[in-house]
Amino acid sequence: MRRRSALAAVTTLAGTAIAGVVSRPGGNDRLLAAAREGSDDVTTETTQLLPETVHETTLYELTAPDPGPTVMVFGGIHGDERNGIEAAHDATEWGPDAGQLVVVPETDRVAVENDERGGIDGDLNRHFPAGEEPTSDLARGIWDAVERYDPDVVLDLHRSLGIYGFHREYVGQALFHSADAHAHGRAIADALTADAIPWYLPFHRFTPQESTAGGPLLFQKAAAELDATAYLFETTAFLLNHATMTEQSRLVTAHVLAAHGGLEYDTGIGVAGTGEPEQESETEPDGGTSA
Amino acid sequence: MSGDSPGPESGRGSEPSIGHAGGLEIGRRALTSPATVATAIVLIVPFALGWLRTELFSPLALPGYVIYSIGTAIGNAIAPRFEFWVYWVPFVGGCYGIAVGVGTVYEWVRARRDAGDDGTEANRSHSPPGNSDD
Repeated sequence: MRRRSALAAVTTLAGTAIAGVVSRPGGNDRLLAAAREGSDDVTTETTQLLPETVHETTLYELTAPDPGPTVMVFGGIHGDERNGIEAAHDATEWGPDAGQLVVVPETDRVAVENDERGGIDGDLNRHFPAGEEPTSDLARGIWDAVERYDPDVVLDLHRSLGIYGFHREYVGQALFHSADAHAHGRAIADALTADAIPWYLPFHRFTPQESTAGGPLLFQKAAAELDATAYLFETTAFLLNHATMTEQSRLVTAHVLAAHGGLEYDTGIGVAGTGEPEQESETEPDGGTSA
Repeated sequence: MSGDSPGPESGRGSEPSIGHAGGLEIGRRALTSPATVATAIVLIVPFALGWLRTELFSPLALPGYVIYSIGTAIGNAIAPRFEFWVYWVPFVGGCYGIAVGVGTVYEWVRARRDAGDDGTEANRSHSPPGNSDD
């Protein structure tokens, strides 16, 4: 019996290793390579937000020679969500093909340095009430930069501990989006699932979800006051390691950039205004061509 | 199944019979049966590898993944503040329980087959081939 049990254990381990290697999802190396290579003529400028204060943090402005959308990406609004910080840092070295890519990798620098969710004034992502002044010095400094760039698209990178719609307390594996981004939100979530989620982790599939307007989150304020198409991405630490969460954050950044025309890469999602998925093209205000 | 009645009263002759003591013996053997051990390994080990390192998740981890995930979803709904690693305890216990169930079925089938072999081998040797179902 012992020999049979041992044989079963060894067979299982070997089978696991082989099946794991064979069936691992491929990610989307071509999309990330396109984001990294990009245009040769991209200019990069850095600016310090809230200079000479404890909140001082760097903003990266990558400008492509061709006109296109302004896409703002935020990491580190919660300082302990390292996946978003790393992915945003990675994006500061990308080369958009059109428009501007504006990245703030360590939005709440104090929280990032302390590796905590909130900084001096607590949770930064509750300091942006729509229709009102931001409620902390850091939030006001960040919002000044957002108003200055008047972005077409805002992406905020986060991480949860559980899975949205599965673990009642948590919001992971979801792409929350503004009301004008139904088609894009769904298409990007589906693309992320295809790129990063193997069929044998079915609960980890990404869910697109329209966000309620008027909340105190940065992406909600950008959507409400600047008419930006806004996304908040949540991966999960539930059964996923840091490298996987970071890779998912990179992928969503590249997909959002490509979907809105910042990258010349056919993700199958379509560039805003030219390739909306047919089903909802009439409801997209930026649909343009036929709606 | 030709002409024999499967009723318990006729079981002593040609049908395998497992009495109360036999049932207890099956239950005892099921705790460490090869089928129990193999099932527990299949449910726990592939999932544990993926839990340790995401890249090691594989199709073999699916049963453990489903059990663990549903367990955490139920647990999170009942007691939201527990961290998810806590659910390893009920997960391992639950997997072993399932494995014992599988082992019990395996041992019962084996005991039945053995009993059947003992009781029918002599008769079978005298039956002409091909006539048993006519």
